[in-house]
Amino acid sequence: MVDYEITISIDARGSFCPGPMMELIKAIRQSEVGDFVEVLSNDEGSLQDIPAWIAKAKHELIDTVKEADFNRFIVKKTW
Amino acid sequence: MPIAVILGGGFAGLTIANKLAIKLKKRKEVEIVLIEPADLHLYEPGLLYYPFNDKPMSKLEKPISKILRKNVKHIKQKATKIDHENKKITLEDGKVIDYNCLVIATGVDLKEESLGLTDKDNVHHFYSAEATLKIREALKNFKGGNIVISPSTVPYKCPPAPVEFAFLLDEYLRRKKIRDKTNIKFLYPLPRPFNIRVVAAKILKLFEKKGIEFEPFFNYDKINTENKKILSFEGDKASYDLLVIIPPHEGQDVIKESGLGDKEGFVITDRETLQVEGQKSIYAVGDCTNIPASKAGTVAHFSADVIVKNMISKLDEKEPTARYDGKTLCFLVTSSSKSFLLDFSFKKEPRKIGLHSWRIYGIMKKLFQYLYFGGLITGRI
Repeated sequence: MVDYEITISIDARGSFCPGPMMELIKAIRQSEVGDFVEVLSNDEGSLQDIPAWIAKAKHELIDTVKEADFNRFIVKKTW
Repeated sequence: MPIAVILGGGFAGLTIANKLAIKLKKRKEVEIVLIEPADLHLYEPGLLYYPFNDKPMSKLEKPISKILRKNVKHIKQKATKIDHENKKITLEDGKVIDYNCLVIATGVDLKEESLGLTDKDNVHHFYSAEATLKIREALKNFKGGNIVISPSTVPYKCPPAPVEFAFLLDEYLRRKKIRDKTNIKFLYPLPRPFNIRVVAAKILKLFEKKGIEFEPFFNYDKINTENKKILSFEGDKASYDLLVIIPPHEGQDVIKESGLGDKEGFVITDRETLQVEGQKSIYAVGDCTNIPASKAGTVAHFSADVIVKNMISKLDEKEPTARYDGKTLCFLVTSSSKSFLLDFSFKKEPRKIGLHSWRIYGIMKKLFQYLYFGGLITGRI
């Protein structure tokens, strides 16, 4: 288990594809290396798109937490 | 006398002004005012075709005076501030206009200057009349090499436009007999070339058939004009001889100055009531909003009906109950003679019938300009 403190939290619930992923990309652009960014999304497409973008951009998906009616993605900016 | 003000005279603003004017024609108790500095209206959907033809740009223009109904007063000024507490709008010349109900239809501000380019860089777009004439010249002079197409931002106006441009470019280069000397590369921020999965799958098949190279997850970072490379935030790069970039989009300064926008200056708008957040007397329509719908004329068209109904309900002191459901109907050009027809909403995926590339849709897309000026923007449809 990785210890982390969320630096930026984005509530993208109610936003459709590509909203949550684009919000994450914006937040990663604005954050510092080592920061932890959290995105909340209830768009089912995010479950595929967000991990795929993180892998492509070589950041780190720390956790995907399934909440009652949305998913919480925790991402570490690695470079 | 109550005053309904429409701020912005693009497709969305003119449509709302004319629809209101029709509904209120027999009721003289409301003054309708349009604030728009331009004299001419540009048929923007036509810009997509103009890099590939020789028609004069005037074919896409029409004076606003010929579009706007007579019971709408046109103030040819730019607004600089909306004082939503006191229901006042300040104009560029310092005059102040009162309103009882306001519709914001200010569109987007294309931030081309933020790219820091010059005419020599061979980086182009087709989102304004001036830029379209430049890309037309660049394509005429093009003898072969790498043409790269990429948005610099999301969201941008008309989501299918870059894909459509790629298809029309492919056809144009074949006509010019230099397709075999040209690589077309399509870079896109998403894992697929369009946000809707089922449509994206069709586009990918056509890309493969036409030899258009697709690179997913390419989020624009910067352009290196010396080496003619476009670089992504993910660390990738692509070489170009001619780069077609969708310029950055932001909300207008008047929105930012008035505290009604999000970080990019798009008006914070309820996606169903189309009311501006915290403002019972202000609606927003078209490309200026932050609602999760396409920045496209079709969204403005269907939103306009909702806003006009709600404005009239308010005038009659009834509860405004009309709601926008995200209805979007648009053509996606796959060649100069064929199109997909896309029909979807917030809750409805595109229908199967709309996912065939048919000649009839291609003809409809070409004839659309007549419908646009004859019925849509005049508020008749």
